[in-house]
Amino acid sequence: MRRLAVAFVVACLAVVGLATPAFAHNQLIASNPENEATVAQSPSVVELTFDQPVQKGEGLNSIAVTGPDDTTWSTGPAEVASNVVTATLDDLGPTGEYTIGYRILSADGHPVSGEVTFTLTTAGNGTPAPEEAETTDQSAGSSDDGGGLPIWVWILGAVVVLGAGLTVALRMGGKQS
Amino acid sequence: MKQARTAASTRFHLVAVLMVAALVGTLAGLAVTAAEPVAGLVEPDAAVRYGLPVVRGLIDVAAVVTVGLCLLPILVGYDRPARAEPVLAGSRRFAAVSALVWAVCALVALVLQTAEVRPGVGVSAAAVGAYVGEVAAGKAMLFVAGLALVSFGLGLAAVRLGDRVPAELRTAVALFALLPLPVTGHATNFRWQDFTMVSLELHVLGAAAWTGGLAAIVVLLATNRTLLATALPRFSRLATVCLGVVAVTGVFNGLVELTATRSLFDVLFSTGYGVLVLCKLGCLGALAALGANIRWRLLPAIVGHRRTALLSWATAELAVMGLAIGFAVVLSRAPVA
Repeated sequence: MRRLAVAFVVACLAVVGLATPAFAHNQLIASNPENEATVAQSPSVVELTFDQPVQKGEGLNSIAVTGPDDTTWSTGPAEVASNVVTATLDDLGPTGEYTIGYRILSADGHPVSGEVTFTLTTAGNGTPAPEEAETTDQSAGSSDDGGGLPIWVWILGAVVVLGAGLTVALRMGGKQS
Repeated sequence: MKQARTAASTRFHLVAVLMVAALVGTLAGLAVTAAEPVAGLVEPDAAVRYGLPVVRGLIDVAAVVTVGLCLLPILVGYDRPARAEPVLAGSRRFAAVSALVWAVCALVALVLQTAEVRPGVGVSAAAVGAYVGEVAAGKAMLFVAGLALVSFGLGLAAVRLGDRVPAELRTAVALFALLPLPVTGHATNFRWQDFTMVSLELHVLGAAAWTGGLAAIVVLLATNRTLLATALPRFSRLATVCLGVVAVTGVFNGLVELTATRSLFDVLFSTGYGVLVLCKLGCLGALAALGANIRWRLLPAIVGHRRTALLSWATAELAVMGLAIGFAVVLSRAPVA
């Protein structure tokens, strides 16, 4: 039991050593336009404010605006300034309900996503973006070196490594006692 | 000599029980916390959405089993080397195997996490590198994989050299490898940052030693009455401490997380997060009852080298532990509100 206690104490000390960067999931605390707001004019910027800083990085955060009849409206790339994420927004079109969808990377490394809706009361002059949403090319552009492999290839590789390791571990000669 | 023979007959389907229960818990938790797809954004592949929690569950089970198998020599003690050696030789080999599973699952999880933050594209090695560079959770996962590999190496060395590789060292490395992941979970909010962090780490350590110890004992010792009579009372004391630690830290962390934004009862019953916390409380109650049953009703007979129904009760306990691990996996990824 004493040895066990020692192992535990060592581990607990290790906890204290590691416990410096501590983060929680981000939560949306404010937005412009506000959620369920009624907006007279097409806003030129979408602004989302979270309770904690958002992880910066190309393609890590995305904002998309969807209008009536599932039309996509083009937004600029998501810019992060501490805990505020902004994206420029081109002129919107017909009146009706618009949805701002967002996925940001919380400081703790977990993606956080959600939606904010607002209603436009005066029609703008904009036209919807073509089908390929802005957000897709944004994320494709950033990590596009050598194309990237589908997930199953990685998993297959992992299984091969695991198999090789297991063979070694199970076949290795044990201690002669 | 019959006992030494039966010592080698192990019960690995019990590990399967733990694993399946963890899987069930994970999937049930995912169902409870399911989120609607967000308008206008590319969703991560189903392989990522379901694969990542499942792999995280595998990581946890492999970690727990590794810790338990490393603990086993300490629980068995060093006073009956001739009788213990055949069992312990098996435990070292399987500790190495589970550490390898742990390491490989951690690497797969790293790839899946990379895919999760940039949905809709394949994952290149450079993207994984960038993810590790940019995101703390990536570094933590890499750290886990590295430590699990060290654990694997120590395990192989122990297979070769026997107890010249001290079990305490192997246990400490395995426990240490549990620590990086909770640091990057949502362990905290700002009010109680340091306390919740330490408390969460203790929660993980306690749960791993408890579950792993029980798994190692029933898998390797259930039929070996001599060794069981020494190991189980020791484990029972360890389990009591772990139960206390897990309960106190779990309730503390749950309260801090749940009361961060809204009133407790509001969050507890109306959100997936709250429901999962309640499920884990239920698991804890069941585990306390099952553990008490083993401690008070079976243990006296086991100490007297008599035959008991330990195996069935311990299997039930492992299943509940697996469920709790599964819930924990989802809980660590779910938004609170």
